[in-house]
Amino acid sequence: MSNEIFENLKKAIIEYDSERAASLAKEVIEKKIDPMKALDAMTEGIRQVGDGFGRGELWLPDLAGAADAMSSAMPIIEEEIKRTGAKRVSLGTVIAGTVFGDIHSIGKTMVCTLLTAEGFEVHDLGINIKAEEFLEAAKKYNTDILAMSALMTMTAPEQKKVIEYLKKEGLRDKVKIMVGGGAITEEFAKDVGADGYDPTAPGAVKLARRLIGK
Amino acid sequence: MLKGFTRNFPLFKILTEEQVEAVHRGTLDVLQETGVSVYNERALKAFKKASCDVNFETKRVKFPPGLVEECLRKAPSSFRVKARNPKHDLIIGPGNILFFNFPGTGTVDLDIWEPRTATEKEHVDLIRVLDALPNVHFLNAYPYFGFSGGIPEIMKEIEGVALRMRNSTKVTVAIANNDIDMFTIKMARAAGTEIFANPNTSSPLTYYTDQVNACFLAAEYDLPSMIWDGATSGGTAPASLAGAVVLTNAELIPFIVLIQLLNPGARVSVANLVLAQNMTNGAPAFGEIGVSLHNVAFNQVWRKYGIPTVCSSCGPTSSKRIDFQLGYQKMMPAILSAISGSSVLQLYSSIYGEITAHPIQALLDDDIAGMIGSFLEGIEVSDESLAIDLINEVGPIPGHYLNKAHTRKWWKKEQFVPQVADRLTYPEWIRADKKSCIDYAKERMGEILAVHKVDPPLTDSQEEDIERILKEARECYKKKGLIPDKEWEIYKKTLRESGRPY
Amino acid sequence: MARGFRRKFKPLEIVTEEEVNAIHQGALEVLWKTGVLVEHERALNLFKENGCKVDFEKRRVRIPPALVEECLRKAPSSFCVKARDPKDDLIIGGDTVYFTNFPGMQTLDLNTWEPRTPTRKEYYDLVTILDALPNLHFFTCYPYFGFEDVPEVMKIPEGIVAKMRNSTMVNLCCYSNDCEIFTIKMVKVIEGMEAFGAGHSAPPLSFSSEMMESLFRYIEADFPIWAGGGPVMGGTTPVTIAGSIVVTNAEMIAYVVLTQLIKPGARVMVHDYALPINMRTGAPNFGAIEAFVHQAIFNQIWRRYGVPPVATSAGPVSSKKMDFQCGYEKAFSALIAALTGANVIQFSGGIYGELTAHPIQAILDDDIAGMVGRFIEGAEVNDETLAIDLIEKVGPIPGHYLNKAHTRKWWKKEYFMPKVADKLTLSEWLKTGKKDCLDYARERTQEILATHKPKLLTENQENAIENILKEEREYYRKKGLISDTEWATYKKDLESPNYPYA
Repeated sequence: MSNEIFENLKKAIIEYDSERAASLAKEVIEKKIDPMKALDAMTEGIRQVGDGFGRGELWLPDLAGAADAMSSAMPIIEEEIKRTGAKRVSLGTVIAGTVFGDIHSIGKTMVCTLLTAEGFEVHDLGINIKAEEFLEAAKKYNTDILAMSALMTMTAPEQKKVIEYLKKEGLRDKVKIMVGGGAITEEFAKDVGADGYDPTAPGAVKLARRLIGK
Repeated sequence: MLKGFTRNFPLFKILTEEQVEAVHRGTLDVLQETGVSVYNERALKAFKKASCDVNFETKRVKFPPGLVEECLRKAPSSFRVKARNPKHDLIIGPGNILFFNFPGTGTVDLDIWEPRTATEKEHVDLIRVLDALPNVHFLNAYPYFGFSGGIPEIMKEIEGVALRMRNSTKVTVAIANNDIDMFTIKMARAAGTEIFANPNTSSPLTYYTDQVNACFLAAEYDLPSMIWDGATSGGTAPASLAGAVVLTNAELIPFIVLIQLLNPGARVSVANLVLAQNMTNGAPAFGEIGVSLHNVAFNQVWRKYGIPTVCSSCGPTSSKRIDFQLGYQKMMPAILSAISGSSVLQLYSSIYGEITAHPIQALLDDDIAGMIGSFLEGIEVSDESLAIDLINEVGPIPGHYLNKAHTRKWWKKEQFVPQVADRLTYPEWIRADKKSCIDYAKERMGEILAVHKVDPPLTDSQEEDIERILKEARECYKKKGLIPDKEWEIYKKTLRESGRPY
Repeated sequence: MARGFRRKFKPLEIVTEEEVNAIHQGALEVLWKTGVLVEHERALNLFKENGCKVDFEKRRVRIPPALVEECLRKAPSSFCVKARDPKDDLIIGGDTVYFTNFPGMQTLDLNTWEPRTPTRKEYYDLVTILDALPNLHFFTCYPYFGFEDVPEVMKIPEGIVAKMRNSTMVNLCCYSNDCEIFTIKMVKVIEGMEAFGAGHSAPPLSFSSEMMESLFRYIEADFPIWAGGGPVMGGTTPVTIAGSIVVTNAEMIAYVVLTQLIKPGARVMVHDYALPINMRTGAPNFGAIEAFVHQAIFNQIWRRYGVPPVATSAGPVSSKKMDFQCGYEKAFSALIAALTGANVIQFSGGIYGELTAHPIQAILDDDIAGMVGRFIEGAEVNDETLAIDLIEKVGPIPGHYLNKAHTRKWWKKEYFMPKVADKLTLSEWLKTGKKDCLDYARERTQEILATHKPKLLTENQENAIENILKEEREYYRKKGLISDTEWATYKKDLESPNYPYA
C-alpha cells in the first residue's frame, strides 16, 4: 500500500505534477507513512529526470518542472521529518540570492532548480539581498555554500562585503562562495574573493559538488 | 515528396504596381522593336511559323506582344518534377521555397584556401553530403566540374552525371553544351529520374545553338526547364537596376515562347544569375547588394507572369575563404530572395564565384537555410501562444517561466537549433578547444559520410546502362575529335585503374 | 543632420493586423489585471494621481487602457536630438534608419580570440574609429565597459567622457550608483548638446528603484529616453514569441506611460532585446532567429503605436570569432531589423553576446550597415533607369554597356562599394598575399587612427568636464565605493602624462 504511494510520488515528480506531488505528500503525513522513504522516492524521481538531462534526452524546462514538483511536496515532508526528530540527508546546503542593487533572478532560479534536482537543500533568498541578510541566512541554515548572482559587475563592492562579514564571523573557512551572472568572469570571481565561478547552470552544479568535495 | 519551406506572411515588394507595369511595357517593347539574335535554324523556323518577325540573314527575331503574353500564360505557375525516389519529388511553385547547390569548378584546400581539382572521392563525397541533407532538394549540374585523373574537358560533366546518378536519388540539372545534355538525359532515363533542361541566355539578347537545342530536347522528352540569365549589370546589361530587369526579362521570355510553342504547357522556371560588373578588374562582382534589388524586383515581375523564379546570385561570393565576408554575402541575397518570392534558392556549397565549392560549406549553408526557413514559417499567434492567463499568473519578478508546462510544451516548436553553429559561452568554448562552425561542420560531415547510403542504389542493369552510355559518349566525342589521342591515353589509364570498363 | 538611410518601401510585416491586435489586447489585459512592479515611491504616486490602481505595499501598478492609449498618443512619433556638431544631429522616427555601435564588456585578443580588458588607449581608439565610420550615426552605451585601472564604479563615467571627447556624435548615458547626476551636468556643459538617457525593465513586468530614479532625473533634465527590455524567452517571459512580446509590450507601454506622466511629450524610443535560452546550459542564445522574429514583430507593433522602435537584438552573435557564422548572424539581424521598420539598429562592433567588442568588428559591420542602407533605399524606376531606348540601341551581342555614358552615370549610384571586402579575382588575390576582409579591416584601422581627427572639446569644455569627473570621483570615494587600492591604481592612470588619452 505504501509502496504504491512511493511509486506515485516518484511518478508525480517525473511527470512534473506539482499538485499531485503536494497532495500525495499530505497523504503520507495523514497515513503516518515513513517520511524518509517518501523523500527517497522523490529523490529517485528527480534523479531519473537528471539522468535524462545528462543523456541529452531531457532539457532545462524538464528539470525545472521536476524541481518544481519536488518543491511543492518538500516542505510538507520536511516538516514531518523534523517533527519525528529525524534528519534529512542532503548533498549539502546552499543559500542563494541576487546581490543588493540587482533584481535579475532568472539565472539564480535556474541554478537553484538544478541544485535542488541534484539533491542539495537549497534556500533561495530572493533578489536585492544585502550582505547582512546573506550572513544571517548562512548562520540560520548552517550553510555549506553561499551562491551570489549578479548581472553586472558593479555589485562587486556588495559581494566583497558579504565575504568580509563571513570572515569577521569566523565563517569564511566553513562556507564556500560561488558567484555567477551574465557579465561575471573568472577574473571577477578572484577579485571579490570567491571560491568559484561558472557561466552555465549545469556547470554551477558541478562546481557546487567540487566545492564541497562530493 | 520534398516539402521545402512555406512562407507564412505576404510577399516583400519594392516596386509599385505602376512600376511593375512600366517594366512589363518596356520588356514588350524591347522584344517587339529589337528582339533577340537566335543562332539556330530550327528555332528561327519555329518562330517564323508563329508569326514572329524573323530575319534569317541577321538571325534576328522580334516578338509580337500578344504571342509573348499568350505563351507566358500557358506556362504553369506550379509543377512537379519526379525523382528516382518519390520521396525526393519536387513541387516548384509560389509560396514554397526549395534549395539546391551552386557549382564550383573545383574544391578548395581548407588550410591555404587555394583551389584545386577535386578527386573522384571528393566529388562523390560532395554528392553524398548533398543527397543526405534534407534541405537540399535537388542537385545542380556539376557540383564539381569533373575530377582529377586526366578526364578530358568534354567528358568532365558527363562523368559527373554518372556519379550523381549513382550517389543520389534527387533530381538534377543538365548542361546544354555539345550534346552533353543528350547523354545526361539518357542516363537520367536509365536511372529513372527526371532532370531539368538548361537553356542559358547570352547577354545581351543572344541565343547560341546549343542553348536553343536544349529547348528542343526539353520538348522531345517533356522535361522541365530551368533557364539561367547571367548578365552583368554595367557590362552586358544596363548599369541601372530597372534597365537590367527589363533586359533580363527580354532575354528569358523568348526561350519561354519557344518552349511553349514546341510543347504547350511545358514546365519552365527562370534563374536569376544577374551580377554587377566589377569596374576595376572586369570580372563579375559577386556578393553585390544592388543585385538583390534586381532580384527582388525581378521576383515581383515574374510573380505577375506566373512563372517560378530561382535566385542564383546567392550562391557565388567574392570571398576566397570560408569567412565573415562569405557569411554575409551568402545570407543577404538568400533571405531577400526568399521573402520576395523566389521559389528556389541556389545557395549550397559554393565559395568563390563558380570556382570553388566544398561539402563543409554545404553544411554551413544548411544552417542558413534552416534559419531562413524558420523565419519564413513565422509564428503562431493563438490563445495558447499568447499565454495571457499564464502571464497574469506568473506576474512580475520573482515569477518566471522556466518550470512551466507551457515552456516544456512550446520551446522545441519555437526554437530553431542550428546544426553546426558555435553557441557556447566563453569558458565552455575554451574548454572545447575553441571550436568554430567549421570544426563542427567537419564533425558533421564525418558523421554523414559514415552512415549515409543512397536510397535506393542503382540496380545492376541500371548500372550497366550508365556504363554503356558513358562509353557511347566517349566514342562520340572521340569521333568528333574532341578527345585528342594523348588525353585519351591518360583517361583510359584512369578508368582502368578505377576498375571500370572504358 | 545625420542623414542615415531612408527606407523607400513599406516595411515587411510578418504578422497580420489581427495578430497585432491580439498581442495588443493581451498587453492591455496584463497591465490592467496584473500590472507592473515599480520599486519607486515617487513613480507609484505619479501613477496613482493619474488614475492607475496602485498597491503601495506590494508596489504594484495597474494601468487602465485609456491611459495607455492617451500616453502612447502623447509620445512623439518623430523627434530631433542635437549633437555636439550639427552634422551629427539626429531625427529619430519615420522611415529614417540609423546604426549605432553594439557594446562589449571587453576587447578581443585577435590571436587567441579570448576576451581581455582594454587599455585606456584602446578605449579611446575604438571611439575614434566609431566616430570615423560612415554608416555609424551615434553611440550606445560603453562601447567597452571601462578599461584597465579604472574602479568599477567609474567605468561608465569614464566611458561617457571618452565618447564626448573623441566624437561629436550623440551619446547614450546609462545609470548606476547615481552616475547620471554627474552625466547630466557634463552634457549640459556643452551648449545645445543633448544625449539619450537609458532605461530598462527587468522582465517579467518589473522596474528597479535605481532605474526609476534615473528616469526622473533624465526626463527632468529634458533628455530623450532610450528604453528597453531584455526578455529571456522561456525564463523571464513565455517561451513562445507571441507570449514574450505581450510581456515586453506591457513593460514598454508602462515605461512610456510613465515618461509621459513625468513630462507630456517627452521624447522616448524603445528597444527590443529578446534572447531565447539554450535549454541545455541556461545561457542565452545570441544571433538566434527567434530573437530576430521577436524584433520584427516588435518593430511592427511599435510603429503602429507611433513610438520609434530600436533593434538591439541585431548586435550580438553566438560566434566567438569574426568568422562565417558571425557574418551571417549579423547580416540577417541587421537586414531584417531594417526591413521590418526599426528606426535605430544597435549593431556595429559587438561580437559574442555583450561580452566582447572590437574596432575591426565595427569596421566589418560598417560594410554590412552600408549594404543594408543601400538596399532599403531601393532603386529608381523611371525612363532613364528603364533605359528602353538604350537597350534597343545596344541590341544583342556584340553590343554591350561598358562604354556608355549611362553606365558611367549609374553604376556608382546603383551599387555599393564595401570598404573592406575582398573583391579580387583569384589570380590577383594569389599575387597580393591572399588578403581577406579581416586583413583589409586591420589596414583600415591603421588608416583611420593615422588620419581621422575628431573635433575636440574646447579648453573650457574640457576643463569643466574634467572638474565634474573629479567631483564624481570624490563622491564615490566618500561613499566608500572606490577602495584605497583601486584609488591608488586609478590615480596613477589619471596622472599619466598623456591623460586623458593614455
